[in-house]
Amino acid sequence: MGPSSPGTDQIDTLLWIGFIAATIVIVAVNVALIGGLRRNRATRGAEPRQLTGGRRIRVRVAAVLTAFAAVLFVLSAIYTENARETPATGPEGLQAANQEPLRIEATGQQWLWRYDYPNESFSFYKLVVPVDTEVVLDLVSTDVVHTWDVPSLAGKADAVPGRRNRVTFRADEEGTFRGQSATLSGQAYAAMRTEVEVVSPDRYEAFVEGTKDDLEAAQDRVVGLLEEGRTP
Amino acid sequence: MSASGRPPELVVEGLPARRRRWVEIATSANHKDVGGILIVAALGFLFIALVELLLMRLQLAIPENTFLSPVTFNRMLSLYGVTAIVLFALPLAVGFFYYLTPLQIGARGTALPRLGQTGAWLYLAGATVLYAGFLFTPSEAGVNPLAPLSELAFLPNNGVDAWAAATGLATLGLVLIAIDLATTLRTMRAPGMAWRRLPIFSWASAICSWLLIAIGPVMLAAVTMLLIDRNYEGIFFAGDAGGSPLLWQHLSWIFFTGSYMLILIAALGAIAEIFPAFSGKPLFDRGATIGSLIAIAVIGTLAWLQNMLIAPIGIAWMYFAMVMALALIVPFGIVLFNLIATLSGGAVRVRAPMLFAAGAVSAISIGLASEMSHSMIALGWRLQNTVDSTAATHFALVGGAVFGGFAALHWWFPKITGRTMGENLARISFWTMAVGTLLAFAPLFLAGTVEGQVIDAYKFFDSTGVNAYNLIASIGTFVLAIGIVMTLVNAILSRNAGPEAGHDPWGGESLEWFALSPPEPHNFDVLPDVRSAHPMRDIRDAIAHRSGSGERPDRETQPVA
Repeated sequence: MGPSSPGTDQIDTLLWIGFIAATIVIVAVNVALIGGLRRNRATRGAEPRQLTGGRRIRVRVAAVLTAFAAVLFVLSAIYTENARETPATGPEGLQAANQEPLRIEATGQQWLWRYDYPNESFSFYKLVVPVDTEVVLDLVSTDVVHTWDVPSLAGKADAVPGRRNRVTFRADEEGTFRGQSATLSGQAYAAMRTEVEVVSPDRYEAFVEGTKDDLEAAQDRVVGLLEEGRTP
Repeated sequence: MSASGRPPELVVEGLPARRRRWVEIATSANHKDVGGILIVAALGFLFIALVELLLMRLQLAIPENTFLSPVTFNRMLSLYGVTAIVLFALPLAVGFFYYLTPLQIGARGTALPRLGQTGAWLYLAGATVLYAGFLFTPSEAGVNPLAPLSELAFLPNNGVDAWAAATGLATLGLVLIAIDLATTLRTMRAPGMAWRRLPIFSWASAICSWLLIAIGPVMLAAVTMLLIDRNYEGIFFAGDAGGSPLLWQHLSWIFFTGSYMLILIAALGAIAEIFPAFSGKPLFDRGATIGSLIAIAVIGTLAWLQNMLIAPIGIAWMYFAMVMALALIVPFGIVLFNLIATLSGGAVRVRAPMLFAAGAVSAISIGLASEMSHSMIALGWRLQNTVDSTAATHFALVGGAVFGGFAALHWWFPKITGRTMGENLARISFWTMAVGTLLAFAPLFLAGTVEGQVIDAYKFFDSTGVNAYNLIASIGTFVLAIGIVMTLVNAILSRNAGPEAGHDPWGGESLEWFALSPPEPHNFDVLPDVRSAHPMRDIRDAIAHRSGSGERPDRETQPVA
């Protein structure tokens, strides 16, 4: 599950920062706690030293903690802003007029994702996108809250009915990336998975055109059957 | 013998006959009876929550298991969440507060006893409504039933209604008790018991009462709106009809985040009584600790948005959430620092309450450290709604409510029952629980961060690389459960058979140790003048001084060089 887009690269770095920060806190507290318990075991006749904190030590502790929080804030802000900034479509990618990103609508519905492409074709479950292209996924939902989550490509985001949410990413390599909905959405929630296939721009064009042709052929066939008085 | 020389006349007629014990307790408005009901009921619901967790963990022991159906799993999940938080953790904290606050501040009762009594029975009514849901169908909408899944269109049976009514009744009950506590603390402190001399657990009681008065009505509003939506064609949370599903998220997360902070404040308050007593020295920095607990209540609740980093709320709100969440590092850090610094130079005796308190500090530190990384915005996009967040929440809340709650139980059990809990069983229970907690939740950190396993799912797939993590977590949960049951059994056995404790078995510093064990219905016959933050130490010193058993011990505190 390595990073496959510039955005996840940033999140991965931040993950290490968060991991290190959490480890520092856990080790510091537990080493001090266990050390304090062991070192100060009561011995017969020993009177405990009645030490209490003063203003100076209080200020120092607060200063160290504030500095720690501030460093984490700055690092998080830097990497969050980097992750938010999806690089524009590169030379390998799908070349659109005036460098617009490729907009695809992802609709969460119990318990399948539907993807609507700009040429009015659509697919279920599997999203096909061109490599090295800035993709904007508009997340909407027709029923309950779903979370679109393909960790190799982007951070997760909710599709909430009545609202639009957005995920942007640029896939840097071809391949298939798996994801799973991440908000309880009812009975078949655990089975609500998705897959993103990153392909070359040519194959992407072929896929959406082919899908559109298939859809139109199916539509014509349904209409034709009905006009002949038969049930499709 | 009366003055006239005749033996005194006994008049029995006209005195009310003593009623049976359970009738006495059930009709009592005495804070000790009501607090006892809350504590016992909360521990009962801990057991039930544990059974539900175990059933879910059994289902998640192996990939694509079919032990529970998806619907049954979702029902267990929904019951587990409300049982663990609203029926166990909150009332346990509130129960200890309600039992002990009047004793600690030297009051003979509470200010509004009928309100507190009503509160406890509303809580029990809520619990009954929730489990009466089994008669028809329990909720399937999850720990926090996010709208619109909780709306009628998606879950048309009565489960969500039962959930909403139960949560509402229990919350209302707890808010009523909190009002009684806040009033008692404001008006009934003993002479000399200034706020600056209030024991730290009573400070926690005051902070948590006000916190509950602030967040409880938010949840009451939310469940009322949910019930209107479901039963009277309301559209508060309906996304397609002009309502806002996000509104539910805001309201419920304010309550749940505030509850999370309440549980931790209560635990830290109890630990801040236990650490000094077993170190033989005062809390390292009382003022800073109290201030930090207040800050945790305020800032922590304002960090509710950190649960919504993946919702469509706008980047500015995400920064607000992160600032609040990271700001919490300072007060939590100060409290943990002061607790650990209390040990230094002390004469530490590690008895059962101390053991559980230390375990609580350790588990809370692990949970809070991981929550900290969750609040870093872009990392929240990765880690939220993965089992990593399950693990973080459980470390913090099992640390606070179970380890912290058991520390409080072992510490105050002698006061409540007059007997001490068995020390050996307590030790075995503690180490079993410690191993169980690590095994049960640490693997989920890896399953969530490395493999991105999602939260709340009734199954996981074989090829996703999380099989071993989940198997270990399931085994660990069983170990944890065995440890918890040991302490529950220990409490039941020690109730009548434990060693007699006397009124002050640990050398506590606050006034509850001045009362008898168990305390008289009116708490105190006489009260000492409170001259400091540690009245019991003053009393012991005065006795030692007067009985001439030696020099008055040198107990003056000295600041650290």
